[in-house]
Amino acid sequence: MKTIEELVAANAISRIQVEMHPRDQELRLLYGTPDFIEWLGRLAEGAGPERRLGEATVAEQVDDLINTFLSGQPLVYMKQFRSIRAEKNAVWEFKTPDVRIFGWFLKKDCFVAVFGNWADVIKDHDLYRGYRISIRRMRREWGVDETLCVQGVLPGDVLSL
Amino acid sequence: MTSFHFDIGARARNAGRFIGRVRGELLRALSERKSEGGLSQEALARKLDTERSLINRQLSGESNLTLRSLADLAWAMDLEISFELKKPAADAGQNQPIQLQALQAQTFQDQATATSTVRHGQIRYINGAARQVSVHVVPANSELGQPKKSA
Repeated sequence: MKTIEELVAANAISRIQVEMHPRDQELRLLYGTPDFIEWLGRLAEGAGPERRLGEATVAEQVDDLINTFLSGQPLVYMKQFRSIRAEKNAVWEFKTPDVRIFGWFLKKDCFVAVFGNWADVIKDHDLYRGYRISIRRMRREWGVDETLCVQGVLPGDVLSL
Repeated sequence: MTSFHFDIGARARNAGRFIGRVRGELLRALSERKSEGGLSQEALARKLDTERSLINRQLSGESNLTLRSLADLAWAMDLEISFELKKPAADAGQNQPIQLQALQAQTFQDQATATSTVRHGQIRYINGAARQVSVHVVPANSELGQPKKSA
């Protein structure tokens, strides 16, 4: 699959949106795989880690992250997002106090979320490598080539800051 | 499914985005201070006579911030806090008010039998939007963002 339209038509990815303030517009695009959207659904129904660190619930943390991303607000590199490894077609991670979201940038300001999980589970079981490899394999299986992967690993390569 | 609407309800949304905005403002302020003059978490911790790990947890949101710790962090970064509560004001050309959107969405849901948009939970009418909270951290010597009421 060579275009975002083809990925959407094949139900490989779907748009993710949140309620935005009337003053805001979507300046970035967020897509998710069916498995990620299922995880989001469980989050909305109250799923969460055994021990929560953040003051906001995990659903609130993720809603805020999605809203910040979509409305084009700045995100702090390393603290709120980063690439897992500095490499071509990198896998990227978004962070809240209790949640980690993994995926890649189809284009600048256009992200596909593939995996979401609790931060403590990821750290305890060192799941970074596994998620990175799974996402790279999934892209190969889908036939997603370099035209649908941001090549750079600098923050300004993936987000308009 | 062509789109998924992640809806956690107006009250939760308001709380989560306020907490996120305060935290994001602190992260951005420290990042700017660091690039301007090299102010690090270590330096902040020394100035506040506390552990760097606590500063790190507070900034990353893994440890709750009290109003005092927020004030202390702003002081250590030589920034002042602007805080005000105000009624929401509509800007010219902005989208429809959220209340109207929710009403129309409900009407649409009542009328439509099939939609590609999935919502979790009921659409909630926002009547708690009569008050809005805004927090900005601005340089202490800045003329911009002078608060109407300072805290």
